[in-house]
Amino acid sequence: MSVLDIAKGMGVTLGHLFKKPVTVRYPDEPVDIKPRFRGRHHLLRHPSGLEKCIGCSLCAAACPAYAIYVEAAENDPNDPTSPGERYAKIYEINMLRCIFCGMCEEACPTGAIVLGHEFELADFRYPDFVYGKEDMLVGTKGSKWQRREAQAKNEDVKLGFKAGPRPELEGVDY
Amino acid sequence: MKVKVNDAELELKAGTSAIDAIFAAGYDVPYFCSQEYMSPIGACRMCLAKIGAPRKDRDSGEWIIDEQTGEPKIFFFPNLMASCTTAIMEGMVIDTLSKEVKDAQNGMIEFTLVNHPLDCPTCDKGGACELQDRAYEYGAGQSRFVFDKRHQEKHHALSELITLDRERCIHCKRCVRYFEEIPGDEVLDFIERGVHSYIGTLEDGLPSNFTGNITDFCPVGALLDSTSRFRGRNWEYDHTRSSCLDCAVGCAITIDARTGRIERIKAARNTQVNNDWICDGGRFGHEYVDADERLKTPLIRRDGKLTPSTWEEAAAFINDKLADLGAKETGIILRADATLEEGVAAKALAAQLETGQLDHFPRLAASVIPQGVRATLNDVATSDAILVLGDVSEEAPIVDLRIKEALKGVTPPELMPHGVPLADLRLKERMPRQREILTVASPYRCDLMKHAGSTLTYPAGTEVELLASLLQAANGEGEISEEAAMRLGSSPEQLNDLLKRLSGAKNPVIIYGAFVLAASEASNAVQALAKAVGAKLLAIGPMANSYGLEALAVLPSHARYSVQEMLRGSAKALIVSGLDVAKDAEAAKALKELELLVVHDSFANATTELAHVVLPAKTAYEKEGTVVNLEGRYLPLKPAPVENGQSEDFCGLVKFLGETMGTRLEGRSVRSARRLLKKRLQLDLSELSEEGYLSPAKAKAASKFKLKESYELEGNLLLTPSMIRHEQLSRNAHLHAVYGDAALRLNPADAVAQDLNDGDVVAFELQGIERQAVIKRSEAVPVGLMLLPALPEQPAALLWLEPTKLIKAAVAEVLA
Ligand code: SF4
Ligand code: SF4
Ligand code: SF4
Ligand code: SF4
Ligand code: FES
Repeated sequence: MSVLDIAKGMGVTLGHLFKKPVTVRYPDEPVDIKPRFRGRHHLLRHPSGLEKCIGCSLCAAACPAYAIYVEAAENDPNDPTSPGERYAKIYEINMLRCIFCGMCEEACPTGAIVLGHEFELADFRYPDFVYGKEDMLVGTKGSKWQRREAQAKNEDVKLGFKAGPRPELEGVDY
Repeated sequence: MKVKVNDAELELKAGTSAIDAIFAAGYDVPYFCSQEYMSPIGACRMCLAKIGAPRKDRDSGEWIIDEQTGEPKIFFFPNLMASCTTAIMEGMVIDTLSKEVKDAQNGMIEFTLVNHPLDCPTCDKGGACELQDRAYEYGAGQSRFVFDKRHQEKHHALSELITLDRERCIHCKRCVRYFEEIPGDEVLDFIERGVHSYIGTLEDGLPSNFTGNITDFCPVGALLDSTSRFRGRNWEYDHTRSSCLDCAVGCAITIDARTGRIERIKAARNTQVNNDWICDGGRFGHEYVDADERLKTPLIRRDGKLTPSTWEEAAAFINDKLADLGAKETGIILRADATLEEGVAAKALAAQLETGQLDHFPRLAASVIPQGVRATLNDVATSDAILVLGDVSEEAPIVDLRIKEALKGVTPPELMPHGVPLADLRLKERMPRQREILTVASPYRCDLMKHAGSTLTYPAGTEVELLASLLQAANGEGEISEEAAMRLGSSPEQLNDLLKRLSGAKNPVIIYGAFVLAASEASNAVQALAKAVGAKLLAIGPMANSYGLEALAVLPSHARYSVQEMLRGSAKALIVSGLDVAKDAEAAKALKELELLVVHDSFANATTELAHVVLPAKTAYEKEGTVVNLEGRYLPLKPAPVENGQSEDFCGLVKFLGETMGTRLEGRSVRSARRLLKKRLQLDLSELSEEGYLSPAKAKAASKFKLKESYELEGNLLLTPSMIRHEQLSRNAHLHAVYGDAALRLNPADAVAQDLNDGDVVAFELQGIERQAVIKRSEAVPVGLMLLPALPEQPAALLWLEPTKLIKAAVAEVLA
């Protein structure tokens, strides 16, 4: 190894020293997330307001981690929850089991379940990792813990990321 | 006959269908309309195959030879043939693999899907659907038809129990054929024609007791079980094959459970017992198991209140009490659908407590094990002269279906390498039935009479007289007099005809149930009659394991220790399993006097109100064990995964009691009970096959019968067995909606005389038991008789009830 080589190496180092840093001061500043990042799931609705999920359990069947539990029921024709006869009465995902593989999204025949961008899912107690419908339907912002925190402080939920648009996430607004 | 399927040559019986030849050779064709045990009709055109056969020269009678090969020349049919309706011929060649056949299969799938909605994600059949599977295996993968599909009604409730989706129907006609061919109740048919045709009924509802079976074999999700609607997907259920314990037949069932609940019950196949069918009582009668009020923890009465506890504490509590008491005075009562293993446990406990007070209930006066030659259900199905005494359609519904099988005159199909033949060419649509082989005698007009050549409505309680007259005539000890026959609601000709038919038949069978078993004279008479005419006997016991518990001798050591006596004070302590004995006011009085009352049950009831200790019991669907059905066949029970808290079967109870007593009792577990039974029966019950094991018949000599001067079998109210378990009906919402509350049926003339109208609710006391019933006028009931469903605590019998004691509920409330 010659002196020249060492100088070259140091040159690279020095060059980086004067570049704009890539480090983000998370959580004070939001991280930039790529549009196809797979985070916490969203349950979407049709523009009419009806839930897209029809409670078919295909996501549960596709899930390699057995993270999803669906229990269906019959729609009340006068006040339907989803189009058609069947809707998900119980829809739960255990975020501790989930490996964020996206298979559920792939399996869903109606595009009801889509993996979004939220990743700040840390929490304290085991049951708090089981996300029900109310935790995932569009309009719900943040993880369970973030929402608890925000409520306690009487603030809005603050998400620690910025993300580009993704067409599958119809109606989700970060 | 020699046939060649693709490359396989095989030897089959003449009359076999080509589709069965294909399956026997290990090949496969798709099919929708063929169904085991039903007539093949070639409706779906899915089973197409290229079929040919050699021909003989008309003049010489020699096979026409192919000049090139020197072998007989194969002449193929000009078109592809539906293999389900084609019988095999000598030298037939069947091809299922060529491109021509594949293209035809593709095309047929495409046609079938033209009007089939894309419902799979929401359809309860999804994952177990024949159309899905066949489209996947044989379809082209895409359709060229892009126009709108047919639209029809999507959820038509055929009955409270069955939902029909008319868009999904592929017109295979299985359901229509089923009703005509199996139960013989023609209630469904196609309405309209062509693409507009749909399945429908003439009236509302499905007036049959065997409606649920159509949901099992409908190849698509057109007919579905409403009770499990949207409860889970097919791959999510735990399937447990077990036996139904709702009656003495013991049909094979599959229990589908999910997250600790039973969501549905389907029929399973037992070619010896129920073929592929079960009754609606057995299929839909499970909802009570998951009721919220189910007992799940042991309870001990402390300071007058039942408080939650553990099995160990409860066992210690019982043990202490028994020690104070001198255990000899303890009585043990099992319900007659307890398993053999539970019977062993009860016997071991009785031996340990040195008590002879052990019994099972309901147990009628006569033995349920016929003395004489026993008939199997397949004997019934192949019989050429059948005498039925009683209302079998309600007592043991599947016996009713097996009798109707005999009326077709087609023996049960021989099994092929792939099981029951898919297309039995001997069966036809709307076959003529040989009704003349069937005689039904009952105290009222029962359902089966519609199918019988000869029917006899005798006055209730005259079973002995009827059988004695037949016996006398059969033995040549005297003619049947005009007057005697009249008294029995019959004529000498009818009775003589019956005798002639029975004694002239090759395989005559006499089937009798509770009305005969209620009197030992009647039971003796029927056995003597069977001997005289050379008939086989089938006795229908009151419950699923009546036969087994009697054979195991779960019986009192002395007549003065029967259940009735135990409930009248012969015991100082009592362990009751599965029976609400305190329904009976007089028994309740005696129970209050007991030093110790232990109740082993799944639900709180009048008896648990009085109990010192309440122990949670497993239901029939949760037990492992063995029962013996009415033919004497050992049938296995397998536990379904049901959330039942700390429930235990009787073996569990004996285990905990034994542990506190410091001994290891036989029957403390199913395994230990089976060890003992293995020694006794030379039969390892843990290795029982799915079809069960028919215990070798011990042809005992028929008991002697002598007609006594008089029998005290009189009354105006007949407690009748029923398919529905009335004691659990309030917790079976769907069945309740269809069958309603227990009905008191009586002749319209009597109803008018008593000023009772249809739908009136009456309350009354019947031998100490408070009963409530809805009045139902019925021409089927003779004048002067009333019919009321029996209960486990109040089995079939003939009683007196003053009509004036019938208090209309509204009045009763005022009086109270
Ligand atoms: S992302 Fe993958 S692991 Fe997570 S719920 Fe969906 S299928 Fe299951
Ligand atoms: S999210 Fe999609 S796949 Fe899952 S149950 Fe709902 S509709 Fe079916
Ligand atoms: S309802 Fe089902 S069984 Fe009946 S004809 Fe239609 S597809 Fe066949
Ligand atoms: S016939 Fe008897 S054993 Fe068979 S399903 Fe009905 S109740 Fe159960
Ligand atoms: S035509 Fe339907 S199975 Fe043969």
